[in-house]
Parts: sequence; C-alpha cells; structure tokens
Amino acid sequence: MHAIYPLTLAALLFAVGVYGVLARRNAVAVLMAIELLLNAANLNLVTFSSLLRDQFGMGQVFTVFLITVAAAETGLGLAIVLLLYRNRGTAAIDDARELGEDGALGLRRIPQQADGEDGAAGRTTSPAPKAVTK
Amino acid sequence: MTTATLALWLPVLPLFSAAALAAVSLSGRARAAVPALAVLPIAAAAVLTFVVLFGHGTGAATESRIRYAATGGPELWLGARVDGLSALIAVLVGVVATAVQLYSVSYMAHEERYTSYSALISLFTAAMLVVVYSTDLLVLLVGWEVMGACSYFLIGHHWERPEARSASIKAFLVTKFGDVPFLLGILFLAHGAGSFRVQPILQHAIAQGGHGYTAAGAILLIGGVMGKSAQIPLQTWLPDAMAGPTPISALIHAATMVAAGVYVVARLYPVFLVTTAALWILAIAAALTAVTAALSAFAQRDLKRILAYSTVSQLALMVGALAAGGRDAAIFHLMSHGAFKALLFLGAGVIIHKAGTGDVDELATQSLRRKLPMTCVTMTIGLAALAGFPPFSGFFSKESIAGAAYDTATHSGPTKSLLGITPPSGIGWLVLAATLLTGFLTAAYALRTWWMLFGPLEHGWFRSAVEVSSRQPKAPEPAGHAGTAAEAATAADATTAAEVAAAGEWALEALVAESLREETEAAEQAAAKAKSGPEAPRAELLPLVVLAAITTVFGFVGLNLGWFATWLGDADGNAYRASAADAGKLIQPDGAYHLAPALLSTVLALIALALGLGLVLAAARAKPGTDPNHVLGFLRKPAFLGFRADDLQDAIAVRPVQVAADAVGFLDTEVVDGYVRGSGAAARLLGEGLRRIQTGNVQLYLTGVLTGVVVIAAALGFGR
Amino acid sequence: MNALLLAMLLVPAAGIAVLYLLPQPLAERSATRIGFYAGGVVLALAVVLACVFKYARTGYQGTLDWNWIPALHIRFHLGVDGISLPLILLTALLSALCFFYSIRHMPEGGSRRSYTALLLLLEIGMLGTFMAADLILFFVFFEIVLLPMWALIASWGGDGAKAAANKFILYTLLGSAVMVVGFLVVFAYTDSFDIAWLTVHARSDVPKSAALTAFALMALGFAVKTPMFPLHTWLPDAHTAAPTAGSVLLAGVLLKMGTYGFVRIAVPILPQAAPTYAPALAAFGVVGVIYGSLACLSIARKPDGDLKRLIAYSSIGHMGFVLLGIGSLTTVGMNAALFASVAHGLITGLLFFLVGGLKVRVHSAKLDDIGRALYRRAPKYGVLIAFAAMASLGLPGLAGFWGEVLALFSATKPGSGLRQGSYIAMASIAALGLVLTATYLLAVVRRVCMGPAATASEEPVTELTAVETATWTPLILLTLLAGLWPAVVLGITNPAVQVLMKGV
Repeated sequence: MHAIYPLTLAALLFAVGVYGVLARRNAVAVLMAIELLLNAANLNLVTFSSLLRDQFGMGQVFTVFLITVAAAETGLGLAIVLLLYRNRGTAAIDDARELGEDGALGLRRIPQQADGEDGAAGRTTSPAPKAVTK
Repeated sequence: MTTATLALWLPVLPLFSAAALAAVSLSGRARAAVPALAVLPIAAAAVLTFVVLFGHGTGAATESRIRYAATGGPELWLGARVDGLSALIAVLVGVVATAVQLYSVSYMAHEERYTSYSALISLFTAAMLVVVYSTDLLVLLVGWEVMGACSYFLIGHHWERPEARSASIKAFLVTKFGDVPFLLGILFLAHGAGSFRVQPILQHAIAQGGHGYTAAGAILLIGGVMGKSAQIPLQTWLPDAMAGPTPISALIHAATMVAAGVYVVARLYPVFLVTTAALWILAIAAALTAVTAALSAFAQRDLKRILAYSTVSQLALMVGALAAGGRDAAIFHLMSHGAFKALLFLGAGVIIHKAGTGDVDELATQSLRRKLPMTCVTMTIGLAALAGFPPFSGFFSKESIAGAAYDTATHSGPTKSLLGITPPSGIGWLVLAATLLTGFLTAAYALRTWWMLFGPLEHGWFRSAVEVSSRQPKAPEPAGHAGTAAEAATAADATTAAEVAAAGEWALEALVAESLREETEAAEQAAAKAKSGPEAPRAELLPLVVLAAITTVFGFVGLNLGWFATWLGDADGNAYRASAADAGKLIQPDGAYHLAPALLSTVLALIALALGLGLVLAAARAKPGTDPNHVLGFLRKPAFLGFRADDLQDAIAVRPVQVAADAVGFLDTEVVDGYVRGSGAAARLLGEGLRRIQTGNVQLYLTGVLTGVVVIAAALGFGR
Repeated sequence: MNALLLAMLLVPAAGIAVLYLLPQPLAERSATRIGFYAGGVVLALAVVLACVFKYARTGYQGTLDWNWIPALHIRFHLGVDGISLPLILLTALLSALCFFYSIRHMPEGGSRRSYTALLLLLEIGMLGTFMAADLILFFVFFEIVLLPMWALIASWGGDGAKAAANKFILYTLLGSAVMVVGFLVVFAYTDSFDIAWLTVHARSDVPKSAALTAFALMALGFAVKTPMFPLHTWLPDAHTAAPTAGSVLLAGVLLKMGTYGFVRIAVPILPQAAPTYAPALAAFGVVGVIYGSLACLSIARKPDGDLKRLIAYSSIGHMGFVLLGIGSLTTVGMNAALFASVAHGLITGLLFFLVGGLKVRVHSAKLDDIGRALYRRAPKYGVLIAFAAMASLGLPGLAGFWGEVLALFSATKPGSGLRQGSYIAMASIAALGLVLTATYLLAVVRRVCMGPAATASEEPVTELTAVETATWTPLILLTLLAGLWPAVVLGITNPAVQVLMKGV
C-alpha cells in the first residue's frame, strides 16, 4: 500500500493526541492522549522504516524503545494522578494551580482552600466549581 | 632691582599685612599689634609706589615677569608692567589706602571685628596693586575679582544689619554680572593676540584694527567696566554699598575699586580706540549715567548716598572722557577725584560719628560748623573741588574733560586722541554736553550738600548779604531764635559766626552761604573753635588735612605744559617723544600734551558752575527752611529712587531667576528623576505583566511549547 | 617605582585582612586606627610617588605589566603618568583625611570594622581606576568602587538611604555595562585592551561607524558617572543620604572617574569619533552648569533646604565646566578639565566635611535647623564656610578659578572640526552660570553665617575641634596653593596632555 495511508493515520492520531493533551481536563484522559501521541510516532517510525527499506530496521527498533518508554511513563504518570486524586478528590489538571502567579490570566478559577499567599495559592473566588470531568 | 621688579613684588607687602592680621584674628592673640600691622606695611607700600613712580620717570614702559603656568595654549605670566599710567594710579592707591588704614585705627577702634576688617583692607590693597601693575590680563582678573570679594566682605562688615547683608550680596552679584563679559573679553583678546599679556594685545590691536577678536574683546570688556565702575545698567550696587563702614566707602567705592574699570580702559586704550562701537557704547552709557546719577545725588537724603551717586556721576565723566579720546583728561580726573572723594567720605565718617546720623535733614540741625571746624574746612574744599570751583583740582580736571570732548567734537586744535585716531565727533558733542550738564548739576548738589551740612547761620547773615546785594526781603523770622538776631554782621567773619553759633540752636533757615570766603578765615581759627569736646581723633583728622592739601594743589600739575601727560605716557606705554614720527610709534602730536584749560571749555565750565550754584541759591531763597532740592520738582521722587533702576533690575534679572530656580527644582525631582523612577516602575510593571502568563495551568504551558515548536519548524522549513 | 603602585593597592588590602583576622572585639576597638594607618601609609607612598615621578617624561611610568587572562588579551597593567598622578594624589589625600576624621566621627549604622574595611576597599577601587592601563582592568576597578559605596550609603546613611543607595548602584552599573560594551567594540577591531597601545593605533584600526558607536557607548557610561545632565539624578539622593566620609569620597573622587575616563580613554582612543559628540558633551555640560545652579538656588531659598543636596547639585555645575573643557577638544581644554577635577575634589571635599561637621553639631543638614549668625556663634567655622563658598564660586586666587577660566578659554576657540560660533554661545552661557553659582553660594552664606543680632533663643554651636582643624587644613592650604600657583597641577598635566592631544 502507499505510504500515505499510515502517515495520514499517524498524523490524525497525533492530532487527536494533541487535542487530548491540551484540552482534556481529566488527567487520565491526558495520559491516554499522550499514549496516542507516542503511538502515532511509533506508526511513523515503522512506516518510514518500511518505506526506506532500512536494512537494520532502525524504525522498528525505535518503536520497541518507545513502547517500553511509554509503558514506563504511563505507569509513573498514573501513579502521580492517583496521588493527586487521593489528595484533592479530583483529577482535573487545570485545578492544580499552586505554581501559578497571583492575578495571572486565569480561565477557570476555583475557590482556594489555603490562605491567600502571594504566588503560592492566591486566587480570586469564582463561581461554583465545574464538574470534574468534561 | 629695576623698578619693574620692585613693582612686581610690591603687592607682597600688603599681602603680608593681610596674612599677619588674619593670623592674629584666628589666634585671638597679639591684638595690640593690629594697628601697626595694618598701617605700617601699607604705608611702606605707598612709599615704594612713589619710588616706582620716580624711578620710572618719563621713560617707556618696562616689564618684569616670571613664568607662572603653562596652560597648553598661551602661557600665563606673573609680571609687572610699569608705565606712567600704572605708576601714577599705584601712587593713588597707596596714598588712599594708607589714609584709610590710618583713619580706621581710631574710627573702628571700638569694633570687635577690627582685625579682620583691616586684614581685608590690606588684602584689597594687594589685589588693587596687582590690578594696576599686572602685565598679564588673567592675573589682572585675579586681582579684579579678589577686590570684589573684599568689597563683599567689607560691605557686609556689619552683617547684623539686614541692609548690610543685602547690600554686600548685591554688590558682589552686580559686579560679577559685569565680570562675565569682562572675562569673555579678556579671552577673546587673548585669542586674537595669542597671549594674555598687555603688550602683545596692544600691538595686535594697533596692527589689526578694530574687528574680529579685538572688537569683540573691547565691547565685552565694557561689561566689566560698567560693573566695577557702576555705570548704567549696573550702577545699582554702589548707593546701597554705603551700608558698609565709611572708610570702606572712601577706599573702595570712591577712589580705588570703582576706578579700576576706568583704569583698565586706559590701560588697554588702543583696543578701545580702534573699536568705534565700543566708544559709542561707553559714551552713551557715560552720558546717561552722569546726568541721572547727578540728579539722583541731588535728591538723596543720606549723606553717604549723595556721595555715592556723586561718585557714579563723576566716574561717568571719566568714562565719557575715555570715550571721547581724552585718556589723559580721564586719568587726571581719576586722580583728582580719588583724592577729593576720599576726603569727602572720610569727612562724612567724622560727621556721622559725631552726629550719630547720616541724614542731611537732621545734620542740618546739628551746628556742625561750630562743632567740627577742621572737618568743615576740609569738606568745603572737597565739595568745592567736586563742584569744579577754581582753583581746586576738580576745576582743572573737569575742564580738561570738557576740553578733550570739545576737541574731539570739532576735530579742531590738537586732537587729544592717540594713535592718530580721533573718535567720531558725535561722541565729542555728546560727552561735551553731558559734561557741561553734569557740571551744572554737580555744582548744584555740591552746594546743596554744603548748605545742609554747614550752611546757613542766623538770618542776620542772610540779611546782611541781602543788604549788600540789595535783593528781596529777608526770609520770615524763624521761631525759637535766640535774641542775637539783630546782630549786625560784617563780611564773612568767623568771629561773628562763632558768636551767632554760640547763641543757640540752629534753625532750618535758608540763608546765603558764603562758604568760600569763610573757609580761609575759619581755617585759621579752627583750632580755637573746638567746642563741646574734641572734634575727632588726630588719626582721623590727619588724613583729611592731607587729602585736602592734595586737592588744593593737585590741579596745578595739569598746567605745566605736558608735564602730567609726559608722565602718563602714550597709550601703548611709551613715553611721549618729540621725535616720534620717525620712530614709527603712534604718538600724539606735540601740542596735545597739555591739559591746561582752554579758553572756550573753561568758560563753558564756569558758566555751568555758576548756573548750578545760582540755581541752588535761588531755590534756597525761594523756600527757606527746606531742602533746596525742591527745585527738582516732579523729578525729585524718581531721582530719589535712582530712577527705579533697582526695580528694573529686580524685574529683569532677579524675579525671572527665582522663578526659573523654582521651576528647575520642581523639574528635577518630578520630571527628570521621574524618568528614572519611571524606569524602575516600568521594569516592575513589565515583570508583573509577564507574571500573568504563569497561570499554573500545565496545559497552557504545553500549548506554548507546541506553538513554539510549530513556529520553529515552519521557520526552518520555509528557510530552506 | 614599579613596586610603588602595587604597594598602594596592597596596603589597603592588607588592612582589610588585618581587620578581619583580628577577633571581633579587638577589631571593633582598633578599626579606625588600623584604617588610619593604612590610609596614612598609602598617602606616604603617594607622596613618594610624586617625588620619584619624572615630570618631563611623557608616557606611563612605574608600569607593572603582568599577563592576567591571556586568552582574552587582558593584562594586569598598572601605570601612572601626568594625567593620573594628580588624581592619585587627590585620592590618597582624601582617603587619608576620611580615615583620620573617622577616628573621632564614626557614623551610626553598623560595625566599625565593616565601615573601615569598606572604606579601604573603596580606596583600592579608586586608586586602581586611575592606575589601570588596561581597559578591562579599568572596568574591574570601576566596578569595585560601587559595592562599598552602596553598602556605606545603605547601612550608614541617613534618611532614604536604602532607596538612594539602590538608585546609585543600579544607575552607575547600567552606565558601566554600556561602557564595557563600548570597550568590546573597540576590542573587536583592534584585538587589544591596552590603553597606551590603543591611543596610538585605534584611530587607524577602528572604522568611523564603529568608532561612533563605541564612543557613544563609552561616553554614556562615563557621563552617568561624571554626572552629566540629564543622567545626574542619582547624585543628589546619594549625597543627601550618605555619611560624611562617603559623600566626601563620592564627590571628591568618584565623580572624577567619569571625567578621567573621557580624558584618558574616550577622546584619545577614538579621536575620529570625538568631534561628532564633543558639541553634545559641551552642550550638556553647559546645561548642567545652569541647571545645577538653578536647582541649588531653589534649595537655598527653601526653609528646609538640605545643604548636602545643594552641594550635590553644585557638583553637577562644576562638572559641567569640566565637560565644556573636554568638549572643546583642545590641549588647554583637557588641562582645564583635569585642573577643575582636582580643584573640585579639594573644594567639594571640604564643603562636605563642613556640612558633615554641622550635621554632627545640630543633627541636621537643613538650613532651618542650622540657624543663622554662625559668624557669631562659631566664628572660625563661619569664616571657613565663607572661604569654602568663595572657593566653590570660582574666586580667583583659589583653586576653582583656573579650571573654569581655562575651560572657557578653550571653549571660545575649540579644536578643529568644531563650529566656533556654537561653542562661543555655549561658553557665554556657562560664564553666566558663574553668576548663578555666586548667587546661591552667597545666599547660603547669608542664611547660615550672617544673621540678626543675638537673641535669647540662639543655640550655641561648638567651634572647630582639633581633629576637624587637622583634617581640613590640608584641604584649605591646597586650595590656596592650587589657586595661587596653578603650575602645581598644570605643570604635571600639561606634558602628558600635549602628547595625548597630538593628532586629535
């Protein structure tokens, strides 16, 4: 088959993955989207390796690396998300704003449980918190 | 040691005196030595100035100099240039300074700050001698400004009084304002000639003529002349400077410092002669100043202010003479004026000490003629010289100015100009008119001053004079007059005067004064007339007598054909020589050397004198019992205020500067520093702006990263 | 002589070492004495330097030339010539006087040990700047000066000290940063930082456009230090807040580093660019004269005017004359600039000492608090203030005159390539500034020294103490000496300036 098919598929997967990383609120969804990104890259690697008839099969080698790395990173990521969820009761990423600045370009704000310290957790009050998952 | 070298080191004597007195003042010990330290070195210096004068004789200018400093451009020299002009003026300075120091020994004896006072006078003398003798214009400027500083400190001697505080600052600032163009003028002359020394500058001016640096220098130098010699528009400081002690007024503000401006013009005369514009400026300023100052003198009530305005007016005559080409006449008048004005001021000091006031209205009630006979005699001589009454020096010197102006105006007779250049005849007419008008006014206010101080006696006097001249009926009887009213008076007779005076209080009555005949007889009986305590300590009277003698005699030096002029020398420092023409030197013609009275100018001057005297006599008779200056009429108030020159100065110079100062003060902290503070604020705002990106939202950061990657990839991609 | 220069830098360093090696209480007690010994030794060394210096020779003497950072062509190169010798002497003298004065008058605010150590460090920086014969070495010493001065002002200063100190250090740091970029531009074309070498070769190696940029950058850096209007606003606040010794050294020496930079580095190294910027330098200098005088006048007229602020603005005026002299690009002008710098150091140092003394007595430098009639309450002090005022307004016979008048002389006939008409106009305006200077100084004398007759409520003021007399007499005598015998400075600077200005 023509190489354009898997490449297009990879691009589409990558796009979906980018959307997921940047736009999903749930941390687990973000992790899944990261998987999609990685797998899109994998697909690309395999496609090009086949296209270029690489004698060593470097593309496939890298793909195996990447699968391993993805698995490890997902495990670590899920562990962090789990702890985050346990501490806050929500897995929404855009609620974890402790490192933000006071008065920054906030889009959605939630009332802060800690006291208003400069830069640490200073936030303005806002309407009732939205649902955790979108 | 040549005379020039002697002149070079002469100022060290008064300088030593100043240093020693300063040491005494700072340490507070050896107070008893102060009079000796004050008078003796100055007297020695005065003697040495005579030595220099006679040593130099009528020779050409000599110079003695040592290297002072290398500037990278023209070198600076510490030197003395002795020509007739500097030698003569140095003598004047020495004599007057000695007289003043001697006078101050008793006049200021009770003052606690006498030591610093005399130290400053000595420093002043040293500075003036530097100005007179210096061959380098920048060193001259050093002396010039040190004189100004000494004047500032001395006027402010009684700094507890607000008028002294303001007067001292005013004097310094007004003269400093004139010193700015003076300095620039010196710099331009030096640029033109390539040197700061007088000789190269004069040669450059003679060779190049009056354009470029020379002309600019000449016109700018006039600023300093106006400042130091109190001409319009910088004349306002001199009347107020009378807040200082009277001997200071005698020394600085009559005889020496104010003469420095005239002296510098005379010293650099070729520079001015070739620059016609400068001559016109001098002439116009002089004419204006002479007349307005004379009017102001006529209207003043304070004795010292009268003398101050009189000084301004007389200085204007000297400046006018210079403008009209009469350098010798100007110097002649400078010297004679120095003597009689110093005399008048010192006499005023005695009077003010005795009477406790300087207001002539009050002084008129104080029977000064009886109490202060010697002072009366000497001051009468002084006032007569001021008025230009023959045979005193003032008559001769003023007439010589008129003569010089007339010669220039008509370009007739021997031109009194040097270098073969005659100033424009317009200047001659202007100066002649100003001189005659001023002579008229001077005679008037001199008589008025005499009148108010030593003037009328019993109206019995008056009556006798009236009867003698068979004029109008006598003035009304004064109230409170003693019973000797009917005493028949013979001719001006001191005995009668004494008897009348002994009878009782003076009354403010206008009677005819017969000062001139009286003084000769009163002088003989002055010793016997000392009533109500000694007139004044001898230390104060001796200078008066000496100066009066000089005033009487000095006029005649101008008579001997060419004698004074040959001593003065040529404008560029050579002596006059009969065989001038083939020497290639620019020397004035033989017949122009004399300063003797010429017929026409003498007659005119005498007419002016008579008119002035007559005016005051008429005014006195018209309204007896009042100040004769009522004749000024509507001019009296403006003249009293000095024609509002102070207000003008305030509006033009003082107020705008104060406004500007406040504006700058505000500008600096709010605007200029505002930018600086603003930069700090801007940095902070920028930081706060950038902090807004830190939302804490990881997805936002990732979006940024992704965008950046896309941009880079696109750039790289399109860059190919 | 080679060892002399290094010794003059090492002695204060040794002083610092001694101060910090001693145990704390002992160091506190003897800090000022150690400082005085160090300062005295440096002054003695400077006098020795003046004696062994060959005045007729031009070029650097007593050179010490070590390889420092070969990879960057930076050498540790010290040297002294006629241009830097007077400034070195001035620095040594003022520092020694400050140390001596501190024995009795230590300001409040921190440990005596740190105060003395900071002064010693400051002295190293100041001396090094004038001795440096390598551009980066110059820059290093230029910067060394900033931190001790910042610390002195911030810790031992008066009201508003921290803000003033911050403004001072940030402003001058910005200037030096810009300046070093200029140095690097020169380096880019000539591959050398050596000042003597660059003075000869840079004019041919650096093309005009780059020279223009480099000169502008360097001039900006020096202008901030001078200070030149409008980059001057750090000075009044710094002076008002600084302790007496800090103000004396700031005004007496630090300001000279800027003008020294112009005379030593900017103009000789880049003469192809100098005529383009010289009119601007002169113009800003003249504006500074008038502006500074008017600002002083406004302070003198206010009841709560601060005398230290007034003297700070007067420094801007005096430095304006220095800039006018530099801007004329003539030998006379450079001589005038150097003379005026030395004179200003002496006179303004004296002025700040005097005001510092007043501050000790009445605990304020404000005109209202000082009171009036000092001539009566403390006559010698009053006379001294009057003397200092006369010196500051440029009275001939005192040091201030010659620098100003020679600057005006050089400005009325500037160097080639400069328009004489505009310079004459600038000189005239600057000369008018002389009148304004006299105005505010005499106004201050009238307010402080003169006054009405004694009233019951008049507070007495202590007369001059022995320490004060001993500290200030050298300054008075030198002011008189330099005023009456200008050759004492001109004779030193003129040969070197002649050589420097050849070909400018």
